[in-house]
Amino acid sequence: MFSHLLKLMWNKRRANSLLFLEILLAFIVLFGVLGFCFFNLDRYNSPLGFEYENTWQVELDIPDDLDSTGNHQLQESILREIGSLPDVEDVAFLGPVTPFGGSTWRSGGEHNGQNISAMIMFPDEHYAETAKLNIREGRWFVAEDRIAKTATMVVNKAFLERYGSPGGSLIDTIMVYNGIDRKIIGITSDFKYHSNFARNEPLVFLFDRYLDEAEDPLEYLTVRVTPSAPASLEEDIYKRVALLTKSPDVTINRLANERVQANQPITIPMTIMVIISGFLLINIALGLFGVLFTQINRRRSEIGLRKAMGATGGEVTRQFILETLIVTLGGLLIGTFFAIQVPLLDLLPIDDKFFYWGILGSIVIILTIVMICALIPSRLASRLHPADVLHEG
Amino acid sequence: MTTSQPTISTNQTPAGNAMIELTNVGKAYRTDTIETLALQKMNLTVPSGEFLSIMGPSGCGKSTLLNIMGLIDEPSEGTVSLAGQRIEGYNGNAIARFRNEQLGFIFQSFHLINDLSVVDNVELPLLYRRMSGSERKRLSLEALARVGLSNRATHFPNQLSGGQKQRVAIARAIVGKPNIILADEPTGNLDSHMGDEIMDILLKLNEELGTTIVMVTHDERMAKKTHRLVRLSDGERVS
Ligand SMILES: Nc1ncnc2c1ncn2[C@@H]1O[C@H](COP(=O)(O)OP(=O)(O)O)[C@@H](O)[C@H]1O
Ligand SMILES: [Mg+2]
Repeated sequence: MFSHLLKLMWNKRRANSLLFLEILLAFIVLFGVLGFCFFNLDRYNSPLGFEYENTWQVELDIPDDLDSTGNHQLQESILREIGSLPDVEDVAFLGPVTPFGGSTWRSGGEHNGQNISAMIMFPDEHYAETAKLNIREGRWFVAEDRIAKTATMVVNKAFLERYGSPGGSLIDTIMVYNGIDRKIIGITSDFKYHSNFARNEPLVFLFDRYLDEAEDPLEYLTVRVTPSAPASLEEDIYKRVALLTKSPDVTINRLANERVQANQPITIPMTIMVIISGFLLINIALGLFGVLFTQINRRRSEIGLRKAMGATGGEVTRQFILETLIVTLGGLLIGTFFAIQVPLLDLLPIDDKFFYWGILGSIVIILTIVMICALIPSRLASRLHPADVLHEG
Repeated sequence: MTTSQPTISTNQTPAGNAMIELTNVGKAYRTDTIETLALQKMNLTVPSGEFLSIMGPSGCGKSTLLNIMGLIDEPSEGTVSLAGQRIEGYNGNAIARFRNEQLGFIFQSFHLINDLSVVDNVELPLLYRRMSGSERKRLSLEALARVGLSNRATHFPNQLSGGQKQRVAIARAIVGKPNIILADEPTGNLDSHMGDEIMDILLKLNEELGTTIVMVTHDERMAKKTHRLVRLSDGERVS
């Protein structure tokens, strides 16, 4: 029966070409969309590694005329004052690079002849606690690290995986980074800060911002509040910070909102793509419905004939489903041929698995839709009575 | 062999046995407003091996009668027996199987599938049997040879004349070696020369294979060549 239908479909290739092209187009579009989604969902799956709920970020302005001791004293009093407010759980300072802030600092170094490149963040000793970082090995900074003989740094898991020896630890390793020798004192779990869709890449926390007078002071305050913190708390924080810094330049943002915004460059196109391909699929489904209904109408006498020749209702249903399947598989086969060139020829610098998932996902989705759409008209065809359709004047 | 249930391989049932038996068959078509009595109190026995022709004015119920014999229409009343088997339950797969094995149809308008080659059209009934592709092909070519169309096997229906199309339809009707062939005005769309050709093929089938044939015709000349003629008028037998 299959080869018979293959012949029939081949002989009707002109009539079937539209459906074939529609399937091919849907496959290509779906492949792209699914590849994009799988790639980004995979990134989304790797955790940020810090707390953003009930966490506020306060941007403040430290007066330019303070020396580093003055800076330090002012920051200590801000931490004390804000930390003592009711409903504030933890407070920490952070450097110019902030979660979801959009900026990146990168620096390089060298270790055992290997070049090292990593992003940098500048936190204080309270940040791990405030942002609930997970330290998987070693420890976070303490105040004494500021005056330690060897500068210290904390790295994230991606750093360890990239630059550590397999299975080995990097704790207490001393390497040149950002110009000086530094000892690694701690390693965090996954940590990335640009957005949920950011790549998980090596990152270094540096603690020496206070020491260098040429550098700007840390001007972001991370405040973790209780879930029940009232809206008026924002006002209190604003007033106190403005008073202490003698500057009204104070901006308070909620990290949870910042996160949503930082994700938007991916979530918005992804949503649009999913909606468009959803409509495309609905279109395909309706087109298929229409094509099958008209086909079955036009082929009433063929159906009657086949039944008169001994085809059972089930065999007629199977025929129409198989016919649709043949055209669909044709489209999917050609589509896969094109799609598979992307990973085979390394056309994009993206892990091959996402393309294979995209191909697989597109095939499954299109086949499912086609099968559902083919079933109803095919069942209808199987119920035609041969005497009715073969009736001749 | 005395069994009254013929198998596919031996279509020579003992002469004299009733191949088709209609008892008090009636058929009414109901639409929203009217009821048409297409057939009433029809009693008809066709012995195995007979070539029977049916005549009557248009609309008198000839096609209805043939469809009921061919199990593609269900009588409103009465009983139908084919090859010694009383037919009951018209919607099951068993009826489809029975049609496939016992019956061959020939229609006035050929009903060939235009997107299939001649040989693929002929093998149609065999698709609904368990059989290898090569066996199907062999039997189809054999049937085509019988109607003298071996050299047209790979052509498509729209490349054939009306008479050739009807010969393809005959090949399709006989490829499964059925016991009964039902032909509804097989020469109705053909000129008299082609009609004679078709008639000769049917007569030969009846003679050589012993196939029981019931043929509806408007042509007295054709009817005279068959064993027996039944006349219908207004859904009733008049002779
Ligand atoms: N499917 C049907 N629905 C309603 N009436 C029908 C149907 N088929 C046949 N008839 C009616 O039954 C009568 C007999 O039809 P038919 O058997 O086709 O006649 P014939 O073949 O002798 O010309 C006609 O009056 C026809 O209109
Ligand atoms: Mg008729």
